[in-house]
Amino acid sequence: MNSAFLIFLSAFLVNNIVLIRFLGLCPWLGVSKRLDSAAGMSMAVLFVMLLASWVTWTVYKFILVPFDIVYLRTAVFILVIASLVQFVEMFMRKQAPALYSTLGIYLPLITTNCAILGTTFLVIDNKYTFLSTTVFAVGTALGFALALILISSIRERLDLADIPDALKGAPIAFITASLMSLAFLGFVGLLGLSI
Amino acid sequence: MKLRMILSLTIVCLLSAFLLSWVYKTTEPKIEKDKAGKLKIHLMETAFPDAFEYEVSTKDTTFWIAYDSLKKTIGKAKFEEIIPDTLWSVLDTLGEQIGIVFKVYPKGYGGPIETLVGLSMDTIITGIRPATPAEGLKETPGLGVKILEPWFKRQFIGKKEKEVLLKKDGGTLDAITASTKSSRAVANGAREGIERYKKYLRYQAIE
Amino acid sequence: MFKHFTEGIIKNNPVLVLMLGLCPTLAVSTTALDALGMGVAVIFVLVLSNITISALRKVIPEPIRIPVFIIIISTFVTIMDFTLHALSSELYGALGIFVPLVVVNCIILGRAEAFASKHGIFTSFLDGLGMGIGFTIIIFLMGAIREILGSGKIFGNIILGTTFAESPVIYMILPPGGFLVIAFLMGGLNWFQQRSK
Repeated sequence: MNSAFLIFLSAFLVNNIVLIRFLGLCPWLGVSKRLDSAAGMSMAVLFVMLLASWVTWTVYKFILVPFDIVYLRTAVFILVIASLVQFVEMFMRKQAPALYSTLGIYLPLITTNCAILGTTFLVIDNKYTFLSTTVFAVGTALGFALALILISSIRERLDLADIPDALKGAPIAFITASLMSLAFLGFVGLLGLSI
Repeated sequence: MKLRMILSLTIVCLLSAFLLSWVYKTTEPKIEKDKAGKLKIHLMETAFPDAFEYEVSTKDTTFWIAYDSLKKTIGKAKFEEIIPDTLWSVLDTLGEQIGIVFKVYPKGYGGPIETLVGLSMDTIITGIRPATPAEGLKETPGLGVKILEPWFKRQFIGKKEKEVLLKKDGGTLDAITASTKSSRAVANGAREGIERYKKYLRYQAIE
Repeated sequence: MFKHFTEGIIKNNPVLVLMLGLCPTLAVSTTALDALGMGVAVIFVLVLSNITISALRKVIPEPIRIPVFIIIISTFVTIMDFTLHALSSELYGALGIFVPLVVVNCIILGRAEAFASKHGIFTSFLDGLGMGIGFTIIIFLMGAIREILGSGKIFGNIILGTTFAESPVIYMILPPGGFLVIAFLMGGLNWFQQRSK
């Protein structure tokens, strides 16, 4: 249990997927202009990340390793994720239209979100068990959500600030990200966790 | 239309799988050989840290050679694995043991620091080699990673078990500024390794 | 025709203007050499996938084009992955997880969808090369700036004197430094464009 907590904390804060690992920057920058869309994106990422980690973990352990075709990993994982996202989209549209109207537009963006594929690779590289995989995926997705919601609330305020013309938009968002990342580095060493 | 879609997807998948398995088959031996070769060089680095270049061979019968910058031979040795991937016995050209090399994983600031330590017959350190970031060192860039700097590694050479301690802890080694934890990990890891493995000096292989 | 080549280098620079491929640009730019390696890896995949997709553009049925693109791209990424590992395990280790992640580098799928699936083979080749070089220039610039300031070295050689190399601006090598450098590169390009108007 203790180690599960450490995995969660490491994924959530110390190795924050966006601010320390630099994964999933495109959606992080793209949908962080407004707080409500940031919340929607976070939910969609949490949902897909958990499903994707489960499915790829199972595929890796019960198909790729037994048949000795681990070298097809990259191709198989990205295909699994792409079809998973497609399937979730279709299922949601039919079964949960209300949920679809909030999350639906973010789903296609997720296929090319390197945070998802990156997480599934990290799960394999770290040789996690199924339980650890679950904890890791949730921690990572919540870490993404935290970073996304923090930056979007900051950017809503930045709209009102007086910024030099050249730095408007993405540059100032990255300067903010730099400060946030520095703050997150402060978590290094927390309970002995490291980058 | 449906059939065409399924057909083209299948063909692309099959082509890709064939291509990949071919590329895999061609590159895999090279990758494996590379890994094995790297370890040999690393072993030599701990036994002969002063050398400029090393020559290792895939054949078990040939000796590996350490050269200085003028291509003069400093030493020749053979390594015999005693504990897989953990402990090696160093043999000279006559087959006599001249030392051991062992691998320890002390816990640093960022995780375990994989370190190879060479020991001569009189339990004096011949050289140490922590893994580089590319090989899995997880210390902080610019801080803990400085354990790889030559001056830090060099000060271990010629030290006895009792001296392998940071000055702060009553020993003889300088710590890296702002990275005491990483420095201490390497020192303590090396010392504990000596304690654990020194009994393997004068180890005689059972014929 | 050659405007397709030059376009990706400055005017439509994939990183600074189109904001694609940000993740590797930030993550693999702690030294100039790693950055250059990543750049070359992306050029390799981008050029080959652009050529292949352009060659097959009339054969691939429209509704399933994205999955087919993904398979083609991931094939080239895996080839690049093994080749790199076989050629230099040192560089391979430094690029780490970002080697297989080239597959989701938005530049590559983006160019496949927006350009290669609509243009001829040679123009697609030029576009891929231009975009790849544009990406490489930026990631190399990032790597060089961060290595010089963050460790006082360039390609591992000390410049700016040994005193600086002993206590450099470590901040630059750590993750926050990556964000800061790209912010000022983008800001610099904006400033330059606004001034020249």
